[in-house]
Amino acid sequence: MDTIAFLVAYITPYIAVAVFVGGLAYQVRRWVQAQGVPAHLSVYPRPRGFWGRLSDTLVDMFTLKGLFRVNKPLWVGGFLMHLGLLLLLAGHVRVVTDYYFLWHLLRWGEEELHQFSAVAGLTAGFLFMVPLVYLLARRWSGAVKWLSTPEDYFLLFLLLGIAITGNHMRLVLEVDQHAMREFMQGLFLFRWKPVPPSAGFSFLYHFGMVQVLMIYFPFSKLLHTIGAVLSKMVAKS
Amino acid sequence: MLTRFLETVRERVTRPLRLYEDICVRCGACVDACHFYKVSKDPAHIPAYRMMLIKKALQGAEVDGGRVARWYYDTWEADGPLTESLRKAMWECTGCRRCVVFCPFNLDTGLLVSTGRYSLLQEGLAPEMLSIISDAEVSKGEIVEAIRDFYVEQMQELERRLRQEFAPDLRIPVGKEGAEWLYVPLVGEHAVVPVAKIFHAAGVDWTISMFTATNHSYFLGDMAKAKQAAHWIIQEARRLRVKGIVYPECGHATRTLLSYFDGWFGEEVAGLERVSIVKLVADYLQEGRIRVRPGTFTVPLTYHDPCNIGRNAGMFEEPRLLIRAVATDFRELTPNRELNWCCGGGGGLIAEPGMKDVRMRAGKPKVEQIRRTGAQWVVTACENCKTQLSDLNEHYGLGVEVKGVVDLVADALVL
Repeated sequence: MDTIAFLVAYITPYIAVAVFVGGLAYQVRRWVQAQGVPAHLSVYPRPRGFWGRLSDTLVDMFTLKGLFRVNKPLWVGGFLMHLGLLLLLAGHVRVVTDYYFLWHLLRWGEEELHQFSAVAGLTAGFLFMVPLVYLLARRWSGAVKWLSTPEDYFLLFLLLGIAITGNHMRLVLEVDQHAMREFMQGLFLFRWKPVPPSAGFSFLYHFGMVQVLMIYFPFSKLLHTIGAVLSKMVAKS
Repeated sequence: MLTRFLETVRERVTRPLRLYEDICVRCGACVDACHFYKVSKDPAHIPAYRMMLIKKALQGAEVDGGRVARWYYDTWEADGPLTESLRKAMWECTGCRRCVVFCPFNLDTGLLVSTGRYSLLQEGLAPEMLSIISDAEVSKGEIVEAIRDFYVEQMQELERRLRQEFAPDLRIPVGKEGAEWLYVPLVGEHAVVPVAKIFHAAGVDWTISMFTATNHSYFLGDMAKAKQAAHWIIQEARRLRVKGIVYPECGHATRTLLSYFDGWFGEEVAGLERVSIVKLVADYLQEGRIRVRPGTFTVPLTYHDPCNIGRNAGMFEEPRLLIRAVATDFRELTPNRELNWCCGGGGGLIAEPGMKDVRMRAGKPKVEQIRRTGAQWVVTACENCKTQLSDLNEHYGLGVEVKGVVDLVADALVL
């Protein structure tokens, strides 16, 4: 296969994971080592006790209810996109392994699983992709135009590219799931298998863009993924 | 240019600010929070932009990759226009923290502005009046003995008047050792009279402080000086062996009392109770320690949640409890409580004569809120709010009167 495809499939994934994990560890350390502020920086009303604060924080993170109060259109875009993302992450477990116990519980065979996969995958894929278009378009007008930096546009385009190629594989191509699992497991076990040809060019673009995302992640605003909890906990202390 | 500013900012990047620069996703939720931006549409007033100005200026000093890198990181040159934008971003702000509530991550623009102001101070860019008052508060303790006699005389004069008008055995103790509460007033009898009446009705064992609660160093972001100014009060409290300190209807002072004293003074305040007069009086009413005449006030009135009493200190229901006990026609502003619009007068802006125009513009959303209720009185629990609301009343022809919560209670007392 050609050199770039080879690199993207077998070499850069390891670099991406190393930079992702190492980078996140570095940033969390930077946050923890930064000097604290010797003051209560709360906004009220606020919950009592550590568990109260944590559960309040997690509820807000999973529902974005604070945002709903103050900006409903943005809430729709942000919430649906993140919901799609959550479902996609849960679904992508299936490119490496599977929820065997769940299918056993539901007594689902190949046929049922295939149908579920198609519907669930597409729903999650569009829930993720469509709001991205709104989130991108809104940056060209209004006050948020002042706030938007090249990084914001770059990340939105990157995520959109990942979404489009992913949806392409899900909707148009017939990807050999067994071959895909073999390939992905091979990367984890260092027993490399061929890239499934049924996944086409879309897979290499998808896989490649995800790696770009992983490498960029620890040096971008995507840090809000883990920083959000810390920041919200401070505002309730 | 701006080297001292950037150096100071770098030194003072604390954890919340490090998080802010790393995780702000520039979603723009904060755009709708700020009363300054709502009226001006100037990007320097957008909360997240205030952070970006500093972050991009820092990056501008650090990025060494030529034009492409500078374009991608969107760095900004430390030049004249940037300095002016920074001045606006740091000083055209009341520290109300409404933006902190709006932000999905509760990123602290209030803290950012405080840090930014201190950094501008190192560059010699700070409002003159505030610096003068700040220094006076820091050195107040050194001259307090010299003015003690005069102060005592003033309090005795007030006491005499109140004994004639209100209750013949009312006292305003100065320097009473072993009293239960040390009440720290503001400049002016309006901060003493209602409280003296209420304390008399409740039979409170109190004494009045030689100092005032205001802390203009806090507005300058100079926390070292803010701590020094507040320390005089702590020393006085410990010397008089009081059980606790009561702060007056003053927003920023109450915020320092409840949110900063722990960090500033640690052990020194561990044994001292600290409370706002609003909460104390609400407790007295609920305990039955004071009684008021229901329906004393029938005029349509509304309550303005001061930012530093409400969203920054958590006292939403106490003032409402007190007002509802004495008034018949209470109307809420929309929105209210933690989403209430700032009056536009906080952050030290009132002390600076040159900032009056800015405050009058920033107060527009508040004016609209008040008009919509049809209220004739606006009741509030913060000194700067009272001044700002009175100024707004004059400037916009609102036709309202501005009252303190304790004023209403004091006038409705049943002895």
